[in-house]
Amino acid sequence: MSENGTHNGIQGGEDFLLEVKNLKTHFKTEAGIVKAVNDISFNLRRGETLGIVGESGSGKSVTALSIMKLIPNPPGKIEGGEIIFNSTTKGKIDLVKTAERDMEYFRGNEISMIFQEPMTSLNPVFTCGDQVMEAIMIHQGVSRKEAKNQTIEIFKKVELPRPEAIFKAYPHEISGGQKQRVMIAMAMSCHPSILIADEPTTALDVTVQAKILDLMRHLRDENDMAIMFITHDLGVIAEIADRVAVMYNGQIVEQGTVYDIFSDPQHPYTKGLLACRPRLDIRLKVLPTVADFMHKDEQGKITEKTSYKFSSVGQAILFNYTTEEEIIERQQELAKQSPFLQVKNLKTHFPIRNGLFGKVTNHVKAVDDVSFDIYPGETIGLVGESGCGKTTLGRTILRLVEPTEGEIILEGRDITHIAKDELRAIRKDMQIIFQDPYSSLNPRMTIGEAIMEPMRVNNVLESDFQRKKKTIELLETVSLTKYHFERYPHEFSGGQRQRICIARALALNPKFIVCDESVSALDVSVQAQVLNLLNKLKEDFNFTYIFISHDLSVVKFMSDRIIVMNNGKIEELGYAEDIYNNPQSEYTKNLIKSIPKGDLSAIKQAQLKRNN
Amino acid sequence: MFNFIISRLIYGFIVLLGATIVVFFIFNILPGDPVAMMAGMRTDVATRESIRKELGLDKPKVVQLGHYLNDLSPISFHENNEENQKKYEYLPLFQWGENITVLKTPYLRRSFQTNKKVSEIIVENLEGTFWLAFTAMLFATLFGILFGVLASLKQNSLLDHSLISISVIGISAPPFVLAALFAMLFGYYLAEYTGLNPVGHLWDTDLGGRKLMLKNLILPALTLGMRPLAIIVQLTRSSMLDVLSQDYIRTARAKGLKNYVIIVKHALKNALNPVITAVSGWLASLMAGAFFIEVIFSWKGLGSATIAAVVEKDFPVVMGITIFVALIFILINIFVDILYAMIDPRVRLKS
Repeated sequence: MSENGTHNGIQGGEDFLLEVKNLKTHFKTEAGIVKAVNDISFNLRRGETLGIVGESGSGKSVTALSIMKLIPNPPGKIEGGEIIFNSTTKGKIDLVKTAERDMEYFRGNEISMIFQEPMTSLNPVFTCGDQVMEAIMIHQGVSRKEAKNQTIEIFKKVELPRPEAIFKAYPHEISGGQKQRVMIAMAMSCHPSILIADEPTTALDVTVQAKILDLMRHLRDENDMAIMFITHDLGVIAEIADRVAVMYNGQIVEQGTVYDIFSDPQHPYTKGLLACRPRLDIRLKVLPTVADFMHKDEQGKITEKTSYKFSSVGQAILFNYTTEEEIIERQQELAKQSPFLQVKNLKTHFPIRNGLFGKVTNHVKAVDDVSFDIYPGETIGLVGESGCGKTTLGRTILRLVEPTEGEIILEGRDITHIAKDELRAIRKDMQIIFQDPYSSLNPRMTIGEAIMEPMRVNNVLESDFQRKKKTIELLETVSLTKYHFERYPHEFSGGQRQRICIARALALNPKFIVCDESVSALDVSVQAQVLNLLNKLKEDFNFTYIFISHDLSVVKFMSDRIIVMNNGKIEELGYAEDIYNNPQSEYTKNLIKSIPKGDLSAIKQAQLKRNN
Repeated sequence: MFNFIISRLIYGFIVLLGATIVVFFIFNILPGDPVAMMAGMRTDVATRESIRKELGLDKPKVVQLGHYLNDLSPISFHENNEENQKKYEYLPLFQWGENITVLKTPYLRRSFQTNKKVSEIIVENLEGTFWLAFTAMLFATLFGILFGVLASLKQNSLLDHSLISISVIGISAPPFVLAALFAMLFGYYLAEYTGLNPVGHLWDTDLGGRKLMLKNLILPALTLGMRPLAIIVQLTRSSMLDVLSQDYIRTARAKGLKNYVIIVKHALKNALNPVITAVSGWLASLMAGAFFIEVIFSWKGLGSATIAAVVEKDFPVVMGITIFVALIFILINIFVDILYAMIDPRVRLKS
């Protein structure tokens, strides 16, 4: 069978493990047909890792589900194209034409898949062991006892601690990283030739992510298995993939080896994507965004912006970073002032109730003896893994959660125990922007109303007429227009909603804003826009920020000083550059080491190692 | 798990105590003179006073409540004399002076009307109600889950729409209308084909000995099961639709499992929790006796007994049955909590 695929520069004739040709997957919605995957072609070789990268809605997950034939129908349907899979037992076969009953043979057996959300991807009412055993029993036709032995064997391979105990454990009894290992064990259990991993590490902490990526590389090399690795994070791609396909709007806009894509991106979208990720090594003034590199007209045609400030990724960085002198000058300026907020020996403990009558048997020490100062106009970054207490600390400072012990002093005034009424007056000065812009706006309130509400409650301005005028000003501040006033939240994208939340926080003219993972739910390009906006506002209004995030690169871009938290305690506190360049504690070192960097020399080394 | 059950039992006991106190006060504050009920035509003041004394009605309400609770408790304190022995049929545990601590079956007092023990009345009527409720729920659960699953698998199809429309009728039709309708249609007009009677009890006692009449169970059980059936269909459907869109169902499909394994094993076990709540709630309320249906089909059960007692203001019977029904509700709820914990391991965390 000679295939003549020359699309996107792919050479024909080679014996590929998987060839996707002109695949089209469409969804029927009320608004019309959505071409989620619109004529894409790519190949996968045995033992190779192909990274598929793109923002949410670019069609990367739909591509994966199309190969598995798991597109929910209705509304989705594969409308055309071929997916030629070179099966070890059945030879070359077009999966598009394969009947559902025959697909069951391939799924979980020759092609398997792991998903983004380990928390919800395991069935809560069966033990982990049961769920892995099930796959082994159907595909290999072995007895329960044999399947159990194999399961425990594979649990050892994916480096799960106490494999026998986890075999009997229910999903809610183990951690997120362990759940993802169970998922990998399930996917690996029948020695598939292709593993499709759909954002397998996105929901995990960086240190856990580093370990999972390690494990996947190891399993790939040991079993000569091909991996299709889907992610929005180019750094992760650089860590694991051999080749990359960049998806945008249902199409593959560029594909090639990781080194080629990273060193010489051709498509403007790829350039934008590479440039807009906050860097750890230097401090940029303004993050480049995808919109700096490309223009999309109304027909959806993409053109490169040529006469623009950045003509390449390198330029975007070179002309735009803050020098060391500038950083030091700013640090000194800040420290000269008297502190804006002082936190002294703050503790927030939550009781654990147990036994017949809910007796308090123990405490979760979410925040455990934390002290620090913030200067006016300063941004303090709060970083740490999930469960380290960073969110609780942020909320305790605003007294959204009551502290157990310690003092919170705002502009020289102790606010730890002041009464509700006084607190309300102070709340005007302190605002919070939450993580999820989808659930933090009331869907039944126009965004104008949402922004005006805090002003009404706090009697800011005299009449609704003035408040409306102010609201429109605020909308313009966050790059929206007055025409958005009467719209409802569902009409906006994630990035726009987060900007609405920012406008709402600004409505009361606060001095101090806590950003709790405010950009974590956004795509990198949108994240860059929101971060730039926050920075611009800081300059315009001289805000003081506490910026909470699990992502050290984002925190470093935003912050003057960084607090690294672990187990409710401050692990390390210092200037952002010092923490990154010269971390003191093991915990911080490990955190920094785990971040996928995506720099060229590292990619080159990794590739050389692979080829040998 | 043991702690879990114990704590549920303790909570259940507290609820039962509360229910008993409420029931006691409702019936003792209500107008109506129990002495007149008991004494009937006799208006002799001395007799009335002696009855009043015997019932303890001359004492304050709180003391009366204490007596009532003491009567109900399986372990109780009494004066040790022949009269009490006869009244309570107790088993002495230990004696101290005049008084005695005893073990007995709960004493729900006697009917004003027939002077029969209330507990005997309950036991007599329980069987009919139990079988009726049980059969109705069995029918409703089996078919409800079946139809609900079918509707969810064929969402937005003709089958789905017709099942939903029919179940809406089932929910909105009043039970007494359905009862009359079914009795007339299947027990009268179509009796030739169905061979069913429009009315009748589980046991035929006309010709001396008791004869089991299972076919008399069909119509009342069918009528009684209609509403739970309709609700179970809708609950199962929406719960299944929810579960089928979960990530772990996608995982199960990605594993290469057969469709029916995914539906029966992975989806149904998760989807059943709300259905169990509904089933148990219904079973408990059906155990309270289906008033209309028992009356219309002349079925002998707790429902018809309660109605009779209410009509005659026979308070001890109404109180006894109410407390008994509360007990059944509590027991079924405890049972369901345990069932939940068995089906969903996450529930055990909250013990």
